[in-house]
Amino acid sequence: MADNKNIEFDKVSKEDFEFVQMGEKIYDKKFETKPIGYFHDAMIRFAKNRTNVIATIILGIIIMMSIFVPIFSNKNAEVQESRLAYLPPRVPFLADYGIMDGYKYLDNQVVDLTTIDPVTGLGLPEDYPAQYIDMDTLENYYTSCKDKDDDRCVGGDNILKVDNQKSHIVLGSSYSDDTSEYMFLQLNQANNAYIQIDISQVIFTGDAKLNIYMATSLIGNSSLEDLTLIGTITEAGVYQFTPYEALGKTFVKSQIWLELVSNENEDGADSVYITNIEVYDDTSTNPIYSVDGYYLANNYVMTLLDDTAGGTWSRYNGQVLAAKFSYDAYGYAFGSYSISALPRSQYDKIIAEYSDSCTVTWVDPTNPYHYTLSEGCPVEEVLGRVGVVTVNGVEYFSYKVTANYGLMNGYESIPYFLFGTSGSGMDLFKLIWIGTRTSLLLGLLVSAINISIGVVFGSISGYYGGNVDLIMQRFAEIVGRIPWLVTLSIFIALYGPGQVALIGVLVISGWIGVAGVTRTQFYRYKGREYVLASRTLGAGDGRLIFRHILPNGIGTIITTSILSIPGVIFTESTLSYLGFGIGHGTTLHIFGLELTGVSVGVLLADGRNRLLYEPYLTVWPSVIVSILMISFNMFGNALRDAFNPALRGSE
Amino acid sequence: MFRYILVRTGFIFVVLVIILSINFLFLKLAPEYPPANEDQKNSWLVQQYEKGYKTMYLETQDDVILAMRNNEILRETNQYFRDEDTKYRIYSPIAISEQYFIWANNIITEWDWGVSTRLEVNTPAFNLLKERMPVTLKLNFLALFVYIPIGFGLGIFAALKKNKWQDNVISLGVMIFISIPSFVVMTVLLMIFGFQLEWLPRTFPAKNLEGWIQITGLILPVLGLSFGAIAGLTRLTRAEITEVLTSEFLLLARTKGLTQSQAIVRHAMRNSMVPLVPSIIGSFVGLLSGSVVIEKIYNIPGTGSIYISALTRNNYDYNVILVSTAFYTTISLFAILLVDLSYGIVDPRIRMGARK
Repeated sequence: MADNKNIEFDKVSKEDFEFVQMGEKIYDKKFETKPIGYFHDAMIRFAKNRTNVIATIILGIIIMMSIFVPIFSNKNAEVQESRLAYLPPRVPFLADYGIMDGYKYLDNQVVDLTTIDPVTGLGLPEDYPAQYIDMDTLENYYTSCKDKDDDRCVGGDNILKVDNQKSHIVLGSSYSDDTSEYMFLQLNQANNAYIQIDISQVIFTGDAKLNIYMATSLIGNSSLEDLTLIGTITEAGVYQFTPYEALGKTFVKSQIWLELVSNENEDGADSVYITNIEVYDDTSTNPIYSVDGYYLANNYVMTLLDDTAGGTWSRYNGQVLAAKFSYDAYGYAFGSYSISALPRSQYDKIIAEYSDSCTVTWVDPTNPYHYTLSEGCPVEEVLGRVGVVTVNGVEYFSYKVTANYGLMNGYESIPYFLFGTSGSGMDLFKLIWIGTRTSLLLGLLVSAINISIGVVFGSISGYYGGNVDLIMQRFAEIVGRIPWLVTLSIFIALYGPGQVALIGVLVISGWIGVAGVTRTQFYRYKGREYVLASRTLGAGDGRLIFRHILPNGIGTIITTSILSIPGVIFTESTLSYLGFGIGHGTTLHIFGLELTGVSVGVLLADGRNRLLYEPYLTVWPSVIVSILMISFNMFGNALRDAFNPALRGSE
Repeated sequence: MFRYILVRTGFIFVVLVIILSINFLFLKLAPEYPPANEDQKNSWLVQQYEKGYKTMYLETQDDVILAMRNNEILRETNQYFRDEDTKYRIYSPIAISEQYFIWANNIITEWDWGVSTRLEVNTPAFNLLKERMPVTLKLNFLALFVYIPIGFGLGIFAALKKNKWQDNVISLGVMIFISIPSFVVMTVLLMIFGFQLEWLPRTFPAKNLEGWIQITGLILPVLGLSFGAIAGLTRLTRAEITEVLTSEFLLLARTKGLTQSQAIVRHAMRNSMVPLVPSIIGSFVGLLSGSVVIEKIYNIPGTGSIYISALTRNNYDYNVILVSTAFYTTISLFAILLVDLSYGIVDPRIRMGARK
């Protein structure tokens, strides 16, 4: 009957028909096809939905990764390695195309002014060796400085401020940024020299004023009598003064002193914002003396006369030259670094191990402890000896060296940290899978506890019914109504943050669901005939509960429990994120396994403060936990749909 | 009906009292964390003594005092010694059961929830909470007003476009956002919009900043709070509307001559409201406890962040913990009560408390 399309059915002759069976009766025969069992049927339904199958496969991959990555990865996830902290992701193959190549973008790095290139005008950042900087990305710009007490912080104003209830403050000027010392200004009337003071802002509450003096005597021995007033300022602006008339001289060698006079009875801090002080004359278009920013701030403040004087002299809004650039974080981390004291024994061991590649080149023939070693040797240069101690004629000492970090620590080549490294220099990729494993195991453990408690509670409640059921239901209802914040505070107060609190909170709120499902199953099955039959034959309560009713309902109970695992992981990561669950430094013992207290929530908490420069610390754990949760939920839903008898046979 | 409301309210009240009592008793079993500063600790001890939580005993025998100074007599749990040269002042706690009645009495008669011992020493714990309530409630109600229309809209839209690509996209989004923990959503949003794009403030703006920053500062926490809630509501609305759309009364409405939109607004929506309204009231509790994490991430000075800081390791502030858990418990229990009662209001067919 292979090609029955071609048969013309109305022309089939009677002889062509034959009986399928004639002889034996078939109603007692077994089906020739295999009967489809409950689980098989569920599996067929499960496999029909493609999205669910994909979700299940992804979930399977995640579980496999969480089991095998911690076992087979040779990367470091246990020991703190501070030099490798916060390395960006570096992925094989992709790195060749410039994606995730281990380069790290940095900005706001203070420029070392001595490195400014006369051709490009660009300066290099401090602390980052030029060889690791990608010069194409280097840019310089001015930004407000964090550390105002720094000579690289230029420009801006300085505020001279009188304290409340004080009468005045005196600023003795004339600090030179060229000679870095206090000096006397030389003003010659023949060259038309004049003093220029730029005041950007004044905040005067009463009749306060800023007096400009010439001081001809030495610092420290002055009083106001030695000073000559050459001008007064009451408003913001650029002022020019000449001292010749007031002093009656044509050549003045002096200091500029500024006195802010305030009415001491008034409540309100008078202040004046000084941008710069300059001296000009005809000999040059540039000022012959100029002081601003940091150097202006370095001028000293005096409180002459008596204790009615007082106030502050401070930097206001200076700027610093900063650089933004991307640099090779891996090259830098695994490159050369200096060791201030490398014990001699360790040094000898390294030299012995790398004897082929360590040939000595003397830098200074007179110094036997200053030489470079050839490339490929872990120690690159020996700079000298430190801590020399002679005991019984034997010298004990350490070497001061620069060494190659990678070779010193046994890295044969620069490693690929797929997801970068954490703040402790551990491989984030491995840490994430360790964390996922912890989360999954905790989920399993908590579900197992929940099932045990819930099944016993629900069985008793459902089997006996009546008043027992009523009381147990009220109890469950009250426990279920306790907000997790309450359970959390009780457990934290009694046991402190950690696994006890974590598991406690998860169990207190988790077992009720299982108990409810178990109770429903018992109500469904306890009136069935087979239970009655068994009871008639003399079976006790325990036998009825555990041998007859429970096995019938266990499928639904387990499905519900699996559905609750993502919820457990959800809560676990949230609590760990808040710092109430497990954390770094704790260990966790589950099923005989000793686990470090890292979970995805802990990793995300670590990344919380590094969102700006190390976003990958947040991105990767987020991605993994999201995929885990989504696929677990889809898997759970698919499982429930597949086992739900209401859907049976509908497709 | 009236009797039902009375019974439910009574039961909720009993549950509230039980939960608060359990919380009090367990926290009393844990070691106390008195104020760290010596002066503040002394004034706290005097206050505890005056309120009756502790008894005071003056030890004047020289040999006993000497033994105490040499730490030969050990302190019992929650007992305090105070050395005053010629005498020793000993504060011992009274039985927890007696403390419980004093505590309950203080709350009922004077609304006195005790003082803070660590966060803001010797200020009433309830005042600490009261200052922070407006921020938390503002955020949560804002999230409520954001998520309800969006959730409804998406749910109805998905139901109308059932099994088309629009429905599939929405269902996928729902699956994603219902699965991802809110703190992950919040951190990622903060990273993108706060740190990388720099469009929105990176922490919750302080009170004294100008108006515009105040408004932009609300966007991220409200988004972080509502993503999960939107997903949940969309899923529920979609399920309810799809069910109602296939019902016979809707077919009748259409045969009467109502347009599709008339039929949906007047018949489908009303019927799907029955499970939706209670779930929305219930979701407020979820928002509120979810906001604990959001507040921590975004440094929002709300009730959640004060609860978290009161639970800092070895710096526990029990009275603040008690009053903030009481706040959350009360709100969640009354939300449950409202859910119960709302069934009867939304759907007159449900007769509550009716005997069979």
